[in-house]
Amino acid sequence: MTKRRMFLRMITASLLRRRSRMLIALLSIGIGATILAGLVTIYVDVPRQMGAQFRSYGANMLLLPKDGAELNSQNLSEALQAIPADVLVGAAPYRYVRLDMTTRQQSFTAAGTDFSQIVKTSPYFSVEGAYPSETRQVLVGKEIADTIGVKVGSTMELTWQPTNNAAGKTPEESRVPGASLSGKAEGFGGGVVYVTAVLDENAGIASLTVDASTQTPEYGGRIPDDESFLNQFIGKSLPLSLGEDVDALSGATVTSSAVVDALNKATEGSASVQPKTLNFTVTGILTTGGEEESYVFLSLKDMEMMTDSDQLDVAELSVSASVDQLEAYAGAIAENSASVSARLVKRVARSEASVLEKLTALVFLVTLVVLLLTMICVSTTMMAVVSERRREIGLRKALGASDGSIRAEFLGEGLFLGLLGGVMGAVLGFVFAQVVSVNVFGSSITFQPLLLPAAVIVSMLIAAVSCLLPIKRAVAIDPALVLKGE
Amino acid sequence: MSLLEIKNVSKIYGELKALDNVSIHVDKGEWVAIMGPSGSGKSTMMNIIGCMDKPTSGEVLLDGVDISKESSKHLTDIRRDKIGLIFQQFHMVNYLTAVENVMVSQYYHSMPDEKEALEALERVGLRERARHLPSQLSGGEQQRVCVARALINHPELILADEPTGNLDEANENIVLALFAQLHREGTTLIVVTHDPEVAEAAQRTIVLEHGKVAREVINENFGK
Repeated sequence: MTKRRMFLRMITASLLRRRSRMLIALLSIGIGATILAGLVTIYVDVPRQMGAQFRSYGANMLLLPKDGAELNSQNLSEALQAIPADVLVGAAPYRYVRLDMTTRQQSFTAAGTDFSQIVKTSPYFSVEGAYPSETRQVLVGKEIADTIGVKVGSTMELTWQPTNNAAGKTPEESRVPGASLSGKAEGFGGGVVYVTAVLDENAGIASLTVDASTQTPEYGGRIPDDESFLNQFIGKSLPLSLGEDVDALSGATVTSSAVVDALNKATEGSASVQPKTLNFTVTGILTTGGEEESYVFLSLKDMEMMTDSDQLDVAELSVSASVDQLEAYAGAIAENSASVSARLVKRVARSEASVLEKLTALVFLVTLVVLLLTMICVSTTMMAVVSERRREIGLRKALGASDGSIRAEFLGEGLFLGLLGGVMGAVLGFVFAQVVSVNVFGSSITFQPLLLPAAVIVSMLIAAVSCLLPIKRAVAIDPALVLKGE
Repeated sequence: MSLLEIKNVSKIYGELKALDNVSIHVDKGEWVAIMGPSGSGKSTMMNIIGCMDKPTSGEVLLDGVDISKESSKHLTDIRRDKIGLIFQQFHMVNYLTAVENVMVSQYYHSMPDEKEALEALERVGLRERARHLPSQLSGGEQQRVCVARALINHPELILADEPTGNLDEANENIVLALFAQLHREGTTLIVVTHDPEVAEAAQRTIVLEHGKVAREVINENFGK
């Protein structure tokens, strides 16, 4: 038999045949390793766990149209390609307009949005009733609901007042029968001349009014009242040319030219676009504690129908990622999209990072304390083992064991305990982490294969360090004690 | 030819002179008993001969080497190589079997050899008890295991400290018979005892009193 086999035989015999004492040492290492492995697993998993948790605090990224560009559902979904689907919790588009409630002579900000996304990006929204699930349904902010006294089930008549040229038509497109046009041009001395005209059924000019109050009263200023000048325009189709279609008023050539110019540039004004009015059913009252309480929310579909546009103002994104990752995504979006830019909601992203930092620091500290406690516990147990085995150690020394042999034997026992405790700790630690994760974070974690060797190495190290003092004691034992017939 | 030569050895603990200018010698192959009442310096003598303590003054030559000047590390080496120890309290490793206990001695000395260890147990009549733990053995059996352990490395000297102090008469006789057998084979034996019967089994008895050699008695009846 080799010395090594005898060494192992002695160590295993010591551990196996002295079960109760060694069980305590094993338990102290094992429990320490369990908690350590569990904490490390949680520590590693915390960012992911908390990332999901943090998403309940709302959006952490905004997508906005770039200067001069327009945001719509088309380029929004293109921009979202830059963010991996598994980290994109939700993306809620918003279009804000002012809507009037004519029956109450009130107007409020209305937001067109996608309610299925709001649930994800703004989980803190508290709705009494339900989110709208169909068109012609609205979610009303608490503040508005209180002011105008609507409840779940009430109906609301909402009207959209188009602003001038809201439809964005060109002068040519505007010249349709019955259209009401308005335009302006620079007249004499830089003063602006305003014209409004209503077209007849042939798109000829039916009536014309001119505002020339900026012009010299005795010259151009006479035009609004000069019937013979104005009458030349009636029945004529735009565009017109001064000197060919109409003649200038003598002494007011510049102002006459401005009138023609303004007419040629005139576009369809508000008078011709009918305000749209729709009836909505209130399905829910929204409480958030924030400004959302003064908004009315309706579906994007209704919003498009009312405003004749699929334009969006902003999209709120909830992304489960660190600040650095968010910045990388924002950069990618800005680079890839011609019309969409991305911005972090710094308040949310930063506070997440700081909470995460504190939490990981806490787990780290607790890990350190447990490490220390484990060492003390193992050390104490090994100390007890040494004093319990004083005579055996004395005997071994009397039989010729060198200090090195005594060290090797105790260290061997310690490392063996560390090995067993480490395996136990890795397995139980994962179970522990899983239980914590499920109960605290409500999600399960995946087993880190590296945990097993790491736990074994760490607990063997702990065992070895814990054995240093006991070994020192053991080596100091006087072999002569076995002779004294104690 | 002397194996052990103690010359003018004193051991002083503070005010107490445990050994006071003692000189003794033991020849190779001799069987010597050291007797004396408590406090006579027996234990101190035993510790010094067993390389577990050093004298305050004087020379201790074991097999020609002066062990009174050696470092404790060297003393361990010398003890391991030259001395087999037998104790009053047996002192077995309680979680190792009889044969494993014998092998521990081999382990520290050179190479564990189970076959040889079993042969040693055979010699002390415990071949069948080889796989028993100390708790499963009687006191006499344990002491016989210790004899097997002491002789396993073929030491120059077997040093026994009250080897029969915890044994009944039957077991005492067995152990003494084993000693006689070892003596016949040429092993040097030093037995520290206060039991006259054990002392009478030896060739010569050195009596210590108050740290000095009081007298030496040659056993006329030895071998009869």
